[in-house]
Parts: sequence; C-alpha cells; structure tokens
Amino acid sequence: MIESKVSSELLEALRDSAPVMLGYVPLGMAFGLLFQSLGYHWLFAPLAGLIIYAGSAQFMAVGLLASGVSYAEAFIATLLLNSRHIFYGLSVLGQYPKRGLSRWYLIFGLTDETYSLITAKAPRVASGHTYYLYLTALNQSYWIIGCALGAGLQSFFEFDSRGFEFALVALFVVLLIEQAKIMNDHWLLILALCAVFVAHFLVPEQFLLVAISLCLVALLLGPKRGSLNG
Amino acid sequence: MDNQYLLGIFLVMGVATFMTRLLPFVALTQSQSHPLLARVGRSLPPMIMVILVCFGLSSLQIESLDRLGLSFIALTAVTTLQLSIGNPLLSILVGTGMYTLGVQWFGIV
Repeated sequence: MIESKVSSELLEALRDSAPVMLGYVPLGMAFGLLFQSLGYHWLFAPLAGLIIYAGSAQFMAVGLLASGVSYAEAFIATLLLNSRHIFYGLSVLGQYPKRGLSRWYLIFGLTDETYSLITAKAPRVASGHTYYLYLTALNQSYWIIGCALGAGLQSFFEFDSRGFEFALVALFVVLLIEQAKIMNDHWLLILALCAVFVAHFLVPEQFLLVAISLCLVALLLGPKRGSLNG
Repeated sequence: MDNQYLLGIFLVMGVATFMTRLLPFVALTQSQSHPLLARVGRSLPPMIMVILVCFGLSSLQIESLDRLGLSFIALTAVTTLQLSIGNPLLSILVGTGMYTLGVQWFGIV
C-alpha cells in the first residue's frame, strides 16, 4: 500500500519534472563547459551544482573565480543576484513542511523552475511532502548531471554547446504558458510585462529584482485589497 | 589551481543562495494565513514567469538582426507547440534544436 503510493508520487514527480530536465541538462552543460575554461578538475563543476545550485549564480561564479574575488565580494554579489528568491517562499509557505530535514532541503532547492512547478499544481499538504521532495531532488540531479556532462565532455573532447542557452528561455516559456492556463486574472501578465519595461529603463543591470518588486508593490496596493480587508 | 579557494567560493555562494531562499520562511511564519499575503503568493508565480522569460531573452545577448530573427522563430515554435500540443518536452526540444541548428550549422551570430 505504502510502496505503491511512494512509486506513484515518484512517477508523478518524474513526469512533472521532465521539462525541467530538458532545460537543466543543456544549461548545466553550458555551465560545465564554461567552468572548464578556469582549468580546475572537471568534477568541481557538478560539485558547484550540489553546493550552490543556482544557475545564474554559477555562471557568475566562473567570472568571479577568474578575477579572483574575495569571499565577501562573492557573498554580496550572490545575495544581490539571487535576491528575487526572497519572494518565492511567499507562494509555498503554507505547503512546505514546518520542520525536519526535508523542510531545509526543500527551501535550499527552491529554484525558479521548482518554484514554478510547485505553484502550478494544487497544494498537497495531505500527502506528506514526498512529492515535493522527489520533485526538488530530481530537478537538482538533472542540474548536477548537466554540469558534470558539460565539464566532463569538455575535458575529454572539444564540444560545441553554442545555442544550448536557448533551452532556458524555452523552459521559461513553457512554464509561463502552464501557469497562465490555471490563472483567472490575465491582466496580471500585462502588468508584469509593464514592470519589465519600467525596470529595464530605470535600472537595466538589476531589472530582474526591480521588476519583481514592482509586481509585488502592485499586488499589495492593487484594487482587490479593499474587498479582501472588508 | 587553488582548490581551497574554489571550495570556499562555492560554500560562500551556496550559503548566500540558501539565505535568499530561506528569508520568507523565517520572517513570515506568523502571518502566512493573512489573506492579502495569500493572494500575493497566488498571483506572483505567473508574473515572475513573465519576468523570467524576458530575463532569459536578454541573457541570449542578441546583437544582430539575424540572431533576432532566429530567436523570434524559435520562440514562436515553442509557444505554438506548447499552446497546441501542450507537450513541454516537444516544445523545448524543437525550439532549442532550431536555435542550436541556426547558430551552429547556419552560422547565425
């Protein structure tokens, strides 16, 4: 009985995470290839996927390592780059376990893509969080495999990965369409697009964080606030 | 190569990433049932995906009209396939395949 439940949750997580695999493996490979330009052992690339587990931060890490930055600089740069994640927890607070090791791992693994998959599904508090754990662990393993493949291939052959970077855009488009299918207020998408334009003209180098902040402010001050409070 | 420095940077960046993901969980445990916060939590994900699509497109660093055209075609393919057939694997594979083919075989830079 329990066994069949476990396997059905694993199967569901495998099915749901398959698009992320197609995004993470080529993108991880692109990171691995780039990482090899630093001249370290290729096994450090999957280690970065294990310890850091953040796409854009790992790409930045290659640049930081090449210029030999201090630990403090790396720390602050990563905080700024990943600050958008501060808002992700808002959407999954109620669904994630309140304690235990699984809580910490699920928070550690809350990437853009895992966040999108979890918020696109109905909350499932009853099923004991195993589905979330499978999903998060599967996504991270795709990423680590990608990092290892890219760096490994590069250290043994000359490998051309130009163009692979489009996989991330394609993945985001797919995730957006799946999110849009389950939402009622499609004007929110227009609002988000406006936020991007405003943020891009005001602060092009930090437009990601500024655009998300603008959306957050718009939601907090939005017209539905009165009806919710009253 | 200084492996210790490399590991140190990895650890520092890992901790910083974890901290950004952890913040709402330690800061908002009391107020998670607030209806306004619940609504924000529900509405934010699709908006963030719009922003991430734009972020992804900007990170492609399109600097020529040819590359812009290639990106547009690949993007249209992904969108059309996902809206009509709705198989994420197919949409991502075809879109990325077209883009990679354009870059590597047809030399669109």
